[in-house]
Amino acid sequence: MSSHREAPAISKDPVADSADLYAFVSANDTVTIIANYVPAQFAAAGPNFYEFGDDVLYEIHVDNNGDGLPDVTYQFRFENQVTNPETFLYNTGPIDSLTSPNWNRRQLYSVTRVKSGTPTELGSSLPCPPCFVGRRSNPNYDDVAASAVRDLSGGGRVFAGQRADPFFVDLGSVFDLGTLRPFQDAHVIPLSGVSNEGRDSLRKSNVHTIAIQVPITALTSDGSRPTDPMAQNSVIGVWTAASRQKGSVLDGQGGCTAAGPFTQVSRLGNPLFNEVIVPMGDKDHWNAVAPDQDSGFAHYVAQPELAKLLPVLYPGVFPNLQGYTKDRADLLAILMTGIPAGVVPGFQNFTGGTQADYLRLNVAIPPSANENHLGLVAGDAAGFPNGRRLLDDVVTIELRAIAGLTIPLVDPSFTPDGATSAIEDGSFNPAERITLADFPYVGPPHSGYRVPGE
Amino acid sequence: MGEVSRRAFLVSGSAGAVAIAGVASGGLGTIGLASAEEGELTPDELEAVAAPMLLHVRDAAAGEIEILVEDQSVVVNDKTLVAKVLRAAK
Repeated sequence: MSSHREAPAISKDPVADSADLYAFVSANDTVTIIANYVPAQFAAAGPNFYEFGDDVLYEIHVDNNGDGLPDVTYQFRFENQVTNPETFLYNTGPIDSLTSPNWNRRQLYSVTRVKSGTPTELGSSLPCPPCFVGRRSNPNYDDVAASAVRDLSGGGRVFAGQRADPFFVDLGSVFDLGTLRPFQDAHVIPLSGVSNEGRDSLRKSNVHTIAIQVPITALTSDGSRPTDPMAQNSVIGVWTAASRQKGSVLDGQGGCTAAGPFTQVSRLGNPLFNEVIVPMGDKDHWNAVAPDQDSGFAHYVAQPELAKLLPVLYPGVFPNLQGYTKDRADLLAILMTGIPAGVVPGFQNFTGGTQADYLRLNVAIPPSANENHLGLVAGDAAGFPNGRRLLDDVVTIELRAIAGLTIPLVDPSFTPDGATSAIEDGSFNPAERITLADFPYVGPPHSGYRVPGE
Repeated sequence: MGEVSRRAFLVSGSAGAVAIAGVASGGLGTIGLASAEEGELTPDELEAVAAPMLLHVRDAAAGEIEILVEDQSVVVNDKTLVAKVLRAAK
């Protein structure tokens, strides 16, 4: 998945596991950043429904000077409140408001902005919405969830709570020896009697979303609202991270004592970076360091393992890719430095020479009136890899890029194989992906009562 | 944390004392150089170290201990302190 359970250590710590990150320019000169955690939720989760970790520090970082280190950070800390510890129930009646006494276990959170080392609290005791148990428990779920959108001190809005996972991927297929269902007839291991129609493995699963919408001027290096896409100050780098305190001791009574500085256990910038580029032996290390350390992982980008596997798994389909042995300057640019001026007319998201994996967003490019889910490679400069929108088909985009579609951007001598432009995993189904027209944009969660039956 | 180990690093030598003084500036109040002196902790000192502490012997041979307290980490280099802690653990 994009970053769901993408490394050995974090796969055992779901509440700290960053699943997906989105960043895009939104209405009224704002940027919306969405960081999803607690991935792959099965909606019928009673009696203990999903929640953020009250012992986890969640952060959204923004680098606006290209050094791979945060210049602006938004921190999110959660606390649990239990109304009645004498019942085993999540709710003892319908939850028709955020203050319902029937809601037995809820979460509140704070938002702190850190700039130049100075923290400023933007909100406290902010309510998360409940998980979507079912229509009896949540008779007006959408209204209750909407009331959990809160304004932040100094401008902006925030939401934190359960949502439908907007990510889509045919995970079951792609990790079955690199099978892309639409192309499986060409796979080195043939199967008979199987459908070539892609399947969305995350269909009907939920996730916990942290969404923040702030003025562009809160994120840029000079506090301006850039209008020239080619200007250096128009590009920001965005990533999310989760940290736990360095030490913890179980007290043998069901409690735990933690102490020490918060230490990073998960991070996420570009989708699939740690998932399919960083090898098993380095994934936990990658999760523990900041993007300014990413030059140490650049060789995995320069010679991606998947690019070597594709010609083997699909014999005769990718002969040009198989013959290409140079370092992948296209991928190094897209994922680690941004695309410099002169490669795509009228566009750049270059952050400088520091190699760092994060979403690069050119905030001078306005939202598209007609989104193309293939983003920049399809001529829609408001989409991935210029930031990332909820419905950008990042699996297809990155598979095509790794297969060589973007090599000609930096090496005109290369001709992509004919099949490259047709690569897809086949899981994209807009009808299944409900998004909202307004913040927090991510659609309401699937209810436990209806899943998996619906 | 038990009283033995808590006292153990508070009564450590000069290197440890300097490190603990650094914690004091981060919010542990009355813990300071005076705390490095031998003897029982005063009630005020006990109050000041009420936050949970975890002690991690990172390198016994080098006498390196990391103290985790609240949201901070203090590294103490004190072979005598390490010896006391390890012997107390036996």
